[in-house]
Amino acid sequence: MKIVDKIVKWARLKSPWVLHFNTGACNACDIEIIAALTPKFDLERFGIQLKATPRHADILLCSGPVTRQIKKRLIMIYEQMPEPKFVVAVGSCATSGGVFKGLYNVEGGIDEVIPVDAYIPGCPASPAAIIDGVVKLLGKLEAAE
Amino acid sequence: MSIIDDENVRIPIGPQHPALKEPTSFSVALRGEKIESIQVKIGYNHRGIEKGCEQRTYIQDMYLLERICGICSHAHSTCFIQAVEEIAGLVVPRRALYIRTLVGELERIHSHLLWLGVAGHEVGFDTLLMYTWRDREIVMDLLAELTGNRVNYGINTIGGVRRDITTDQSQRILKAVDVLEEQTKYYIQVAFEETTLIQRLSGVGTLSRDDAMRLGAVGPTARASGINFDVRKDDPYAAYGELDFKAVSDDHNDIYGRTIVRLGELMETYSIIRQVLKNLPDGPIAVRAPRRIPAGEAVSRYEAPRGEDLHYVKSNGTENPERVKVRAPTLANTQAISKMLEDRYLADLPIVVAAIDPCFSCTDRAAEIINLDSGKNNIMNWDQLRTYSIDWYKNRGIAFK
Amino acid sequence: MSETEKLKQIVEEKFDYLKDAVKMQRERRLWAEVPYNKFFEVFDFLVKEHKFSFISTITGLDEGEYLAFIYHLSGQNGTLFNLKTKILKDKETIRTITNYFPSAAIYERELEDLLGVKVDNLPKGIHYPLPDDWPQGEYPLRKNWDASVLDKGENKE
Repeated sequence: MKIVDKIVKWARLKSPWVLHFNTGACNACDIEIIAALTPKFDLERFGIQLKATPRHADILLCSGPVTRQIKKRLIMIYEQMPEPKFVVAVGSCATSGGVFKGLYNVEGGIDEVIPVDAYIPGCPASPAAIIDGVVKLLGKLEAAE
Repeated sequence: MSIIDDENVRIPIGPQHPALKEPTSFSVALRGEKIESIQVKIGYNHRGIEKGCEQRTYIQDMYLLERICGICSHAHSTCFIQAVEEIAGLVVPRRALYIRTLVGELERIHSHLLWLGVAGHEVGFDTLLMYTWRDREIVMDLLAELTGNRVNYGINTIGGVRRDITTDQSQRILKAVDVLEEQTKYYIQVAFEETTLIQRLSGVGTLSRDDAMRLGAVGPTARASGINFDVRKDDPYAAYGELDFKAVSDDHNDIYGRTIVRLGELMETYSIIRQVLKNLPDGPIAVRAPRRIPAGEAVSRYEAPRGEDLHYVKSNGTENPERVKVRAPTLANTQAISKMLEDRYLADLPIVVAAIDPCFSCTDRAAEIINLDSGKNNIMNWDQLRTYSIDWYKNRGIAFK
Repeated sequence: MSETEKLKQIVEEKFDYLKDAVKMQRERRLWAEVPYNKFFEVFDFLVKEHKFSFISTITGLDEGEYLAFIYHLSGQNGTLFNLKTKILKDKETIRTITNYFPSAAIYERELEDLLGVKVDNLPKGIHYPLPDDWPQGEYPLRKNWDASVLDKGENKE
C-alpha cells in the first residue's frame, strides 16, 4: 500500500462523512439518526459528520422501504457518490421492507436496488444501535485492504 | 411543467436533494427575491397503506398504521382502533383510556420539543436545537420505559392497552415532568426575550383566520390564526372528557404565534399528565376483542401534535377491514403554505415550511426555484436554501451571535 | 335534547327524502345518504345554514357497480356530519366542491388518482399522490385492482 493510500484510509476511518437519505420511511428512523447527532449520543465524537450532498459522502445511510417514486433517485444518488462507497440500511424497513413489504408502491429493502454493506435492525433503530452499526462498519473497513 | 413561463424563473428544490430529512418537492417562481408563486409537489412517500390495510387483519393494520408516521405514531394507531372499537361496540376500560391519554401526551411533548429545535435550526439558532433535543431525550427514555420502544410504541391493542404502568413509573414520570416544565419555562422566556428570534418569526408566514378556515388548516397552525378548535376539547376521546385543560390559541397569525401556541400546549400537557397520574383509575387494562369485527362503519378523530387526524373504517364482518381511509394533519396544512409565502422573500421559505411542522411521510417532502427576471432555473437543496436564508437575514442585521 | 339530536331533526324535517334517514351513531356523529342529484341541496344547506365550515376529508369507496363518496363535514360543537352519496362507476362524474372549500382540491385529486372518478371543474394542478409515470387507467383503490400490472409495465421497459 502506498503511503498516500494509507493516509487516505486513515482519514476515511477517522472522519467518515455520511449522507442520509429517506427512501420512503415513516420518519422515525430519520429522527433517530438526527437524535444520534444531538448531545446525548453525539455521533460527531467519532469524526462522523452529516453531509448534504452525495459527492462528499463516504457512507450512505438509507432509511425506509424503497417506494416506486424514490427508486430512480436512490440509484442516482448512489452513482453520484465517489468510490469507495458504503451503504448502511437503517431500520427494519430498509433491511427488508418491514411492515410495508407487499404494498403496491413499495419495492422492498434497500438491497433490492443497491448493494448494502451493513444492516441495522430495529423499528426504529435506536441511536445507540445506529452508532454501533456505523462503528462496526468502520471496523470492517479497517480490516479490509 | 415548463421551466420558464413568461419571465419567471423556477428553482426546483428536492427530492433528489437528500439534505431534506424527508422527500417533498417545492417549485418556487421568483421575481427578484420575492416569491411570485409556489407549487408543492407531494407523493414521494406514497406507499399504498390504505390498500394494504384491506389485505391485512385488524391487528396487523394497527401496527401498519402506527408506522404511517414515526413522530405521531400513537396518534394514528389510537385513531384507528377508536373507530374499530366503536364498530365492534367495545367498552374500553377507563384505566386503558387514561394510559392511552398519557402516552399521547408524552408523544406531544417529544413532538413539540422536536419542532422547536427544528425551527431553531432553520433560522440558524442551532443552540436551541441542541437544547431541546437534549431535553427531548428525557421523554424518549420515559416512553421507552413505559412501552418498550422509543417510537412506534405498540402500546395499543383493540379493546385496551398492552402494558400497565406501575406506581414507580408514575413517580418517575412526575419527576421528569417537573424538569421539563422548568425547561419549557426557559424556552418561553427565550421566545419572549430573544430579539433575533422574534424578528425572524413575527410577521413571517402570516395566515389570516379566514384563510386558515378556507384552506383547511388544522392544529397549532390553525390555532395560531385564532381558530379555537382542538379535537381533545371539541370532540373528546380517551380520557380528555374528564380532564381539565384549555385549548391554547393565539391571534398573531404568524410563525411567532405558532411558537407561542406550541409552547403553551406544552405547559397544558404537563398539567394533563399530572391529572392523568393522579386520577388513574384501577381495574383491567383491556377487554377481549373479537377477531372478526361485525359489519359497520365509523369515523374517529384524534388531536395529533400537528392537528386533527381522521380515520374512517368500514368493516364487513370478516377479519380484514373493507376500507380504511386516513387523513393526516400535514396534508390539510400543506395547502396553506402557498398562501403563507405569498409576496414574501425566498429567505422565508425554510422556516415557513418548517412552521407547519410538516410530517410528509404522513403525506409524503423536498424544493425548484424559477427566477422570473432572468429566466434562469436554479436547483437548490434544502441546506443551501437554509444557509441562503440565514445569510440573507444576516446581511440585514438579524443574526444569532 | 342534545345539539346533535336537534340537528338531526332539523335536517330530517327540511328534506322529506331524508325522513328518518339521518342516523345518529352517537353524540356528535351524524350519517346520511342522499342520491347524487340531491347532494348539493343538502350539502349547501349544511355548509351555509349550519356552519359546517370545515371539510375534514372525502372518503371514496368502491361498491361494485357504484362509486360512493363520504364527505366528512366538521361543524359546531365538534359535530361531524358524514354525508354519503354514490354514482355509477365509469358512467357518471362528480362536481367539485372547491367553490365551497378550496382545501378540498387535494382530496379530490386523491379520488381521481386512486379511485378513478372524474371530478368536474376541479382547478388544474399536479398529480397526487401517484407518480407522474403511473400507468393510465390503473386505480389502486378499486376492489378488482391487482398490483401485478405495475411489474408488467416495468419488464417492458
